[in-house]
Amino acid sequence: MEDVLNDVVSSEDLKKFESVYHEQLRASHVTQKAQFEYAWCLVRSKYSADIRKGILLLEDLYNNYDTEKRDCLYYLAIGNARIKEYSKALSYVRSFLQIEPANVQVQQLETLIKKKMEKEGLVGMAVAGGVIIGIASILGLGIAMAKKN
Amino acid sequence: MDQEDVLTILKILIIGESNVGKSSILLRFTEDEFCENMQSTVGMDYKTKQITIDGNTVKLAIWDTAGQERFRTLTPSYYRDGQGAILMYDVTDRNTFVKLETWLNELNTYCNRTDIVKMVVGNKIDLPNREVSTEEGLQFARRHQTLYIESSAKTADGVKCCFEELVQKIIQTPGLWDTHSTRLYDNGTMTASRYRSGKRGMQLAANYQSLPVESSSNCYCSLL
Repeated sequence: MEDVLNDVVSSEDLKKFESVYHEQLRASHVTQKAQFEYAWCLVRSKYSADIRKGILLLEDLYNNYDTEKRDCLYYLAIGNARIKEYSKALSYVRSFLQIEPANVQVQQLETLIKKKMEKEGLVGMAVAGGVIIGIASILGLGIAMAKKN
Repeated sequence: MDQEDVLTILKILIIGESNVGKSSILLRFTEDEFCENMQSTVGMDYKTKQITIDGNTVKLAIWDTAGQERFRTLTPSYYRDGQGAILMYDVTDRNTFVKLETWLNELNTYCNRTDIVKMVVGNKIDLPNREVSTEEGLQFARRHQTLYIESSAKTADGVKCCFEELVQKIIQTPGLWDTHSTRLYDNGTMTASRYRSGKRGMQLAANYQSLPVESSSNCYCSLL
């Protein structure tokens, strides 16, 4: 594992916290704790559908409770970065840093996200560049052949 | 970074009460920085650092856990497969020392490796208002058969030493790392080199065993 974004939840953990959450959901009383713990597992899942679900749960916590907003912001940033929603992730990082500007953990997460963004941006550009070269060469070939004829 | 040269990857955990300096020690160790107003860690933080001890380079995967109560249910899964644990308290806060017993229990309950190397660290020795004496810390470490060191993340006293001693002890316990590291940290790309280094590691570890423990240490860490 290279960094915090590669940390994947164990299936036992996911099952454990999922069953607590669902039990409470059936009893129609979900505690803040159970919801956070389940969401915390989901955003570290390897499946993006899980991560998206975790993000929804965290957003709900963030909007409806006044306590532990920093925990929600941090894992919202992690979740969004993991599904490559980098600008969203960075906006959560920035909201966090507005509350705690000197937080080293979050500053480092910001650097990490920016690095990923840059890296994938470059890869994207390389792919686009390859496509352009491909089209250009086909065109060139076409023109050359047309001239021959 | 040349992966071929890394002997093994070791998983290290840092646990202890809130505000004893877990993140500060890690920041001092990995970046040689100190932050006066370190905020409490959200959930878990993770850092890697390579160190070379007696010519062997090992990569440390260090998990810095939140000390706060509300994360207590979330941390146990991180204990799994840990090879070294740093149990930290604040020498100016007796309560954090008393709570060490609970942390040790937690570690023994959730860590699947019985031979995980533990180190008790009394931090913040730069502060004047000490509440826990060195003797008490040592006694606790002796009773629980752990390593012991005192440190200050602020002045960097004992920080490097703490990790070096811990790693050295882990390397001296061959069964603890050579057979497992390949399986646990491999994500598909490193297989060949890890297996090779695993074999190299066993040989080296055998050499280590013949070394007297003290010969490699020149700081005030006691190996018990």
